[in-house]
Amino acid sequence: MNLFNIPSNELLQHLINGLTLGAIYSLIALGYTMVYGILKFINFAHGEILMIGTYAGYYLFNILCNPADGGIRVMLAFILSMIFAMFVSAFFGVTIERIAYRPLRKAPRLAPLLSAIGVSIILMNLAALFFGTKSKKFDYPFNNSTIMIGGASITPNQIMILIVGLILMISLKLFIDKSRLGKAMRATSQNQSVASLMGINVNFIISLTFAIGSALAAVAGILIAMEFKVYPTIGQMAGLKAFIAAVVGGIGNISGAMLGGIVLGLLETFGVVILGIPQGLKDTIAFSVLIIILLVKPSGILIKNIKEKV
Amino acid sequence: MLNFILLIFIYIGIFGIAAIGLNLIVGYTGMLSLCQAAFLGIGAYSTAILMTTANINFWMAFIISGLIAALCGILIGIPTLRLRGDYLAIATLGFGEIVKNIIINWDNMTKGPMGINGIPGLKLLNFTFTSLDKLPWTLIIWIFVAIAYYIVRRIVRSRIGRALEAIREDEIAASSMGINTAKYKIGAFTLGAFFAGLAGSLFAAYNQSVAPNTFDFMMSITILCMIVLGGLGNNAATIVGAILIVVSSELPRLLGISNIIPPQLNQVLFGFILVFMMIYRPQGIIGRIKLNYAKIIKEEILHLEK
Amino acid sequence: MKKLMVFLFSLMLLFTIGCGKEGEMIKSGDTVKIAFMGPMTGDAANYGKLMSQAVKIAVDEFNATGGVNGFKVQLIIEDDEGKVEKGDPAIEKLAGVDKVFGLVGAVFSSVSLQVAPKAEAAKIVMISPSSTHKDLPSKGAFIFRDVMSDALQAVVFGKYLATVEKIKNVAILYVKNEYSQGLAKDFKTQFEKEGGKVIAEETALQGDKDFKTQLTKIKGTNPEALYIPNYVAEIAQILEQAKQLGLKVKIYSADGFSNPQIFDLAGDLANGVIFTQAAQQPASKTRTDFEAKYQSRWSDKPDAFSLNAYDGARIILNAIKAVAQKSGDSLLINRDKMREIVAKTKDFDGASGKITFATDRDLISNIGIYTVEKKKYKQIKMFQLDGEKLIEIK
Repeated sequence: MNLFNIPSNELLQHLINGLTLGAIYSLIALGYTMVYGILKFINFAHGEILMIGTYAGYYLFNILCNPADGGIRVMLAFILSMIFAMFVSAFFGVTIERIAYRPLRKAPRLAPLLSAIGVSIILMNLAALFFGTKSKKFDYPFNNSTIMIGGASITPNQIMILIVGLILMISLKLFIDKSRLGKAMRATSQNQSVASLMGINVNFIISLTFAIGSALAAVAGILIAMEFKVYPTIGQMAGLKAFIAAVVGGIGNISGAMLGGIVLGLLETFGVVILGIPQGLKDTIAFSVLIIILLVKPSGILIKNIKEKV
Repeated sequence: MLNFILLIFIYIGIFGIAAIGLNLIVGYTGMLSLCQAAFLGIGAYSTAILMTTANINFWMAFIISGLIAALCGILIGIPTLRLRGDYLAIATLGFGEIVKNIIINWDNMTKGPMGINGIPGLKLLNFTFTSLDKLPWTLIIWIFVAIAYYIVRRIVRSRIGRALEAIREDEIAASSMGINTAKYKIGAFTLGAFFAGLAGSLFAAYNQSVAPNTFDFMMSITILCMIVLGGLGNNAATIVGAILIVVSSELPRLLGISNIIPPQLNQVLFGFILVFMMIYRPQGIIGRIKLNYAKIIKEEILHLEK
Repeated sequence: MKKLMVFLFSLMLLFTIGCGKEGEMIKSGDTVKIAFMGPMTGDAANYGKLMSQAVKIAVDEFNATGGVNGFKVQLIIEDDEGKVEKGDPAIEKLAGVDKVFGLVGAVFSSVSLQVAPKAEAAKIVMISPSSTHKDLPSKGAFIFRDVMSDALQAVVFGKYLATVEKIKNVAILYVKNEYSQGLAKDFKTQFEKEGGKVIAEETALQGDKDFKTQLTKIKGTNPEALYIPNYVAEIAQILEQAKQLGLKVKIYSADGFSNPQIFDLAGDLANGVIFTQAAQQPASKTRTDFEAKYQSRWSDKPDAFSLNAYDGARIILNAIKAVAQKSGDSLLINRDKMREIVAKTKDFDGASGKITFATDRDLISNIGIYTVEKKKYKQIKMFQLDGEKLIEIK
């Protein structure tokens, strides 16, 4: 079958490329959208929190073992490093909220946004200063040999990103929908003062939200770093694309993050291939999608149009 | 030494013009635009292309570049009309990235990553000024700073200015009072972009070359820091902000310690400025202080009496 | 109004004259200044660090043998962060404030191209140790370089691939920066001149990490070879993803590949890649002495560019010494005469090899074809370009 004059196995490869790229965006978007959903706040520094956790995981991983050795020890070291990364990111997320966002809770929405931008710039540059600007290789704790599916290749890590993304999405939804804390979070997202009156410790809920969102970012970061290496600016484009993914899917909506990520990944990959434009313009596609969605359906794909001025 | 100091003044002037433009958008109208560098880039590249391929002289290129940038201001102003503050900000950020992306990929027009160099100098009367003629350039740039300052001051003190501030304080209220918010918002974007385009044009003509990576998000942030630091919605303060920011960026070199002070520290400083100013001195765009109508009326009366 | 213009104009004239562009007189007690410009901070700080250290050794050696008629030489190091817009204030300071006589720099081609006209105007002899963009020396009579031009590298490689390796079609994956795009375009022109076909040309942006779309498209065209003239960060990703996608072709690259960081990033994937670089020079005492001195003083190993920086500095210093004349207690240095001496450099005994500047001030150089075996670089062939002919040097 030849679609657009592209043979089917090449098309399948593009599809897989787009899906795996989309899965990466989805994973990062989860934490982003969660914070937005509860607090109606775009945490511009989400990408940098991801980056810090990734570095933490990287350093611990390489201290605990020699990745080239392989085996159980490496796998254990990896899991420990992942958990450590989650804690580090959560710590940073909660601390940043305390110092840079909480004082601005009553301020108009632009103030915390500018503050978040400032935090993002500070963290990225400090990371460059402390860790150096050269990329570092995050070795796979397992054998990442290519698997062939119908003439196209995919790697275990890419499959893992998809699966982890799905698991996290489902877990997150269950947590928010079914658990008591989740209920408190939903209450807080509706109306902070009323929630507080109902006995909910709003500060705690907000910190918890940031902690969870940041921990999710760390998980995303490490999985991505294995594909793309560790470097101080990991968070920049990742954060922006994740934001686009979240908006496309419906910001604040957990399933929307997954959907939006996949859609964005596919659009970037196929947009370039089908339009026959240079790959260098893929970011233009992504940002154009953002602007178009904001114009046409700002609430995103999954959310019904609310009568709120967006 | 004098040359180096004049160079600093030249940069302060160029960024000052762009900052005055941004202040109109952010400070007076309350729209957070994160793409001022893109308008600078559009102006710079327009001038570069016009002067090298079309052999147009600087003064024509200067005006045309401003107009092209203004047009792009309309282009981003219209889609973002209905967007709320933070969405607007991200949309402008996206626009900035799109512009930079297009510049680096559109080799036929912009020569892509190679950049455009060999832009001819500025011709005035019978003289040609290149980047070696710092004093003439400094004077020319600062004359434009003064013009920009004066124009914006007139606008801001007029009915237009009041409309913009009303939009900033409460857009829905302003609209229900009969202010055509769309017209004013797009107008602010257009004029802000126009000034940035002019600044970019001066940048290109002075440096006699342009490169795609110069006009990036960090440049937008730098200009934003100038107005945040100086005092939003206050143009004289914007110039002060420009002076502080440019001097702090070049200070290490002046003191001879630029090898020890990493450029990242400069950027960390900008980050801190943003966070600090928001928490401790956010007056201006984001202050939800109700307009003091009595005060404004009193000033109007005094002004009329003069 | 007219009076104001006249007044301003005379002021301006006064300043330009008064600022004395040539600065030829060095008073007793003062130093003779030369400079190094490069990225001392930022992403490429390591390059700047290694090269400036080499220049420091050259200056210290020179001062130890008496400097210039007893006057000491002072090295001024300027940071350009590898950015075009930072090169400007740097050169302004060097030309206007320090009034240096020679400049080893800049490191990146884009900065060198920006800075060259100003160095030219200030009559500063500029020798770049690493800017390989083909247009650089044409920027002025004072602009030289002791590193091989990209154009040369690309032309030689185009001929090599077509005539020696006898590759008929090739796919190119390059990054949109000056270095990579320049090489890719020049290579393509030459390769097609020799009868070869470029059946796929894909691009990516600096900093991109995902090349799977481009590689998938390239795989679809079934090329004999893949040319990736990029920096190592991108090359590492490309090698990894090409393997993931099952793209099995001969892989070629350029001198960016000679950065040993590739082994940290790509490991064994680097084995078998063939790339171009300046030809290996026969061992010389100058080189071994310099390397020993460098290692003991800085506990760093000098890279190829550091050798060039060391040589460039020595060429400048020797030229200054040759033209300097004592005038009472002061020293008189004629910049034009200094430039002439530098231009005549022939078979200069450099740590990087014998250095001769062509009449267009470019470096006359041979090209080596290298490969990687078990994560070690190895030169396999050496060529000289004589007009249009590729001559192998055995």
